[in-house]
Amino acid sequence: MTALALALGAALALAVVIAVARPFLREPAPANDVLAKPGELERRRLTLVEERDRALAALKELEFDHRTGKISDEDYRGLVGPLRRAAADALRALEPRAEARHATVA
Amino acid sequence: MKRSPARLVIALSVAAALAVFIVYTSIAGAGTPQISPSTLGPHVGEDVQLVGTVVSKPTGDAHAAGGMRFVLKDDHGANAARTHVLYTGSVPDLFRQGRQIVVEGTLRNGTFVAKPGSLITKCPSKYSPAKSNT
Amino acid sequence: MASLGRAALLLSFGLVAYALVGGSFAAWRRRRRLALSAQNAILAAFCTTLVASIVLVVALARRDLSFVYVAQHTSRSLPLGYALSAFWGGQEGSLLLWLLVLTGYSSLAVWLNRRSGELLAWTVPVLGGVAVFFTFMLCFVSSPFATAAAPADGAGMVPSLQNPYMLAHPPMLYLGYVGLTIPFAFAMGALLSKRTDERWIVVTRRWTLAAWTFLGVGQLLGAHWAYVEIGWGGYYAWDPVENAALMPWLAATAFLHSVMIQEKRGMLRVWNMVLVALAFGLSIFGTFLTRSGVVNSIHSFSQSPLGGWFLGFIVVITVFSVALIYIRLPLLRARTKLESLVSREAAFLYNNLLLVALALTILWGVVYPLLTQAVNGETRSVSKPYYDFFLHSFGLPLLLLMGIGPLVAWRRASLRALGKTFIVPTAAAVVTGIALIATGFGSSTPGLLAYTFSAFVAASIVLEFVRGRRATGSLVRLVARNRRRYGGYIVHAAVLSLAIGIAGSSAYQTIRERSLQPGQSMEVAGYTLTYRSLETKQLQNAQATSATVDVSRGGSHVTTLHPGKSFYPVEQSLSNDVSIYHDPRSLGDVYTIADGISKNGTLDLKVLVKPLVNLVWLAGVIFVFGSLVALWPDAVEQRRLSERYAAVPV
Repeated sequence: MTALALALGAALALAVVIAVARPFLREPAPANDVLAKPGELERRRLTLVEERDRALAALKELEFDHRTGKISDEDYRGLVGPLRRAAADALRALEPRAEARHATVA
Repeated sequence: MKRSPARLVIALSVAAALAVFIVYTSIAGAGTPQISPSTLGPHVGEDVQLVGTVVSKPTGDAHAAGGMRFVLKDDHGANAARTHVLYTGSVPDLFRQGRQIVVEGTLRNGTFVAKPGSLITKCPSKYSPAKSNT
Repeated sequence: MASLGRAALLLSFGLVAYALVGGSFAAWRRRRRLALSAQNAILAAFCTTLVASIVLVVALARRDLSFVYVAQHTSRSLPLGYALSAFWGGQEGSLLLWLLVLTGYSSLAVWLNRRSGELLAWTVPVLGGVAVFFTFMLCFVSSPFATAAAPADGAGMVPSLQNPYMLAHPPMLYLGYVGLTIPFAFAMGALLSKRTDERWIVVTRRWTLAAWTFLGVGQLLGAHWAYVEIGWGGYYAWDPVENAALMPWLAATAFLHSVMIQEKRGMLRVWNMVLVALAFGLSIFGTFLTRSGVVNSIHSFSQSPLGGWFLGFIVVITVFSVALIYIRLPLLRARTKLESLVSREAAFLYNNLLLVALALTILWGVVYPLLTQAVNGETRSVSKPYYDFFLHSFGLPLLLLMGIGPLVAWRRASLRALGKTFIVPTAAAVVTGIALIATGFGSSTPGLLAYTFSAFVAASIVLEFVRGRRATGSLVRLVARNRRRYGGYIVHAAVLSLAIGIAGSSAYQTIRERSLQPGQSMEVAGYTLTYRSLETKQLQNAQATSATVDVSRGGSHVTTLHPGKSFYPVEQSLSNDVSIYHDPRSLGDVYTIADGISKNGTLDLKVLVKPLVNLVWLAGVIFVFGSLVALWPDAVEQRRLSERYAAVPV
């Protein structure tokens, strides 16, 4: 075991220990050590946002499919209504959340 | 469709796949047996895959009419059983005395007559993925 | 220096064990600093593994024969590039490469998602857990840093591994295999943290695509290596080691498609969990197969003790995944239902079923010898006919589906429009089919079907680009605004190239063998090959004997080929040197093998004419291009996603 190998090994071990201990060294007495977790309100919001994005994306896809001829005009007229309603519902459901969000604790 | 047809589709597809599978295996038979020299005896006249280690210096030419001849023993264990093999066709690079091989063919009149070109030599090192195949 | 390597690996082991245990505790008890500390442990584990890897690389470069590993896999006369590639040429080194890629990927994934939050907090212990297995193997079961008295020279490298493709094939495969760990870890992390949103999919989408591409390209590299180096005239033999990479790739292909459905429609949530675990499990199973000696394969030798450990690990991950999915089943309820059997969702569903069916039949074929041994006491195995049958049964419908999928709309296909969109591709297929039958291609039904379906798919893809361009005005804008869809179509074009190449080179190839004296010729599929003479040449570490063969077509000389054999004195082995002519007219190959060269100059020449085979390799290039398009960052999408997750930490 050469001296170089020994020195490098020791340096590596030290660096590694410091890296792992770093969060504790930086904040020895933190005000808050609790791991952030989405509250009930936030989970609901996330679900609604995903629904909204899904509805909007579906509308966009429908437009595109219609323009490229995969959906006929009659079928388009029949499908676009419910999709627009779904998107509007999702958007509306998010609105009151916007106010509630400010009051949420992360 | 009111009720989700997804489950019906999945069930039917799985059934179809299984049906294809069962029909195939019943028609094509269930694979070829892998035999070693010590258990070859009872399989006279049967098409099998013979697995073993080459213990003799190969004689003859696999590309000539007379073919190449060599002797196989079991890969593992100290069994005394020996099988004489007659082979024609391509010979993989790694083939020589001491190597583990697999060859397909039939036992006839005491000699294992190999299917031409079916000789496969296994790579001798533990992990190196080297292949000799015909 | 070997002791430094050993020490570095021990540190890695300690770090990932800490990430597993400490990270689990931190996630369970919601301790922020401990969670951060566990993240740092993953990052540090990459550094220590890197140090260990550097030690091995330096030892290989210097041919330090006191390292048992170096002595076993290199020799003094081995060119430097190949000596370095011995890193992954042996058992221990390849495990170290696996760990290096795993810790590298894990560090990147942790770093990119480092804002402390619940999903990452539970993902870190899963990553740590997988790494614990590999570090344990490297420290206590199969170490690359064993030392012994240095022998005079190393054992050398098997000649068939001394090939540029072997420099790239294993690392590429590993980047793929290991890459499947990341989506698995995030998926399990999402279940452990009881999340009901799709964030884990958004986070891992590019990882999955990249891993899938690496795995696919890695397999093509391996196939190409087998084609040019091993030289039996083929590129895939359904050997268990080859299947070991194909199975996870098929599962990953299925997963890539079904996550799109989960993103768009909120369906198949349980199925995706199962699929990601299956893909990961198959990648570990593949690693197990290539090392354990458990199945009779070209690539394995004796029963290795590693096999038991790997099997145990596979059992652990299977039980863990199944249990976790089962427990969280209530959280995985679908948000919407499948509306129509003729819709894009349904097409994706059929695609998934076919892919998984194919993967499972291959798996059955691989483990069949083990099962028959256990049940009957007699080992039976299946071979090419079995695999070909199922490749045709499941693969051909999959090919057709690739053309049908893009033509149907989401939710419910517009049956009125369906007729119009199907007309051109169907016509293309019918015309192609008739033309092929008329010109004699009816000799192979699978080949004919493959070509006909390919015409359908090709027309369908071209139409997608044409119609899309008409709708958006420019091709560039079309692709830029719909990167995932059109990148996907480019990848489909790659699969098409692959399918046509495979069909042509297997269903329609010609094989002839003759013994020739100098001056004699043979005819194969319109080519005339004339054997002229023999030459012997001395290379750096081998003696090469080659035959000069003139190739002509229709009376005019086309090229000269030099099939032969090389003898490597250090390794005491012979290697086949095939000589291939790539015909630009037919995109096929004239493939020559010097089966036997006798002392009196007689050449046993085997010739294979393989039409369209170069489309197989072209497919690899198109794959990469298509994946890059699909992977390319999209500023609009990024903005929308960051807004979506703004208030909610990871």
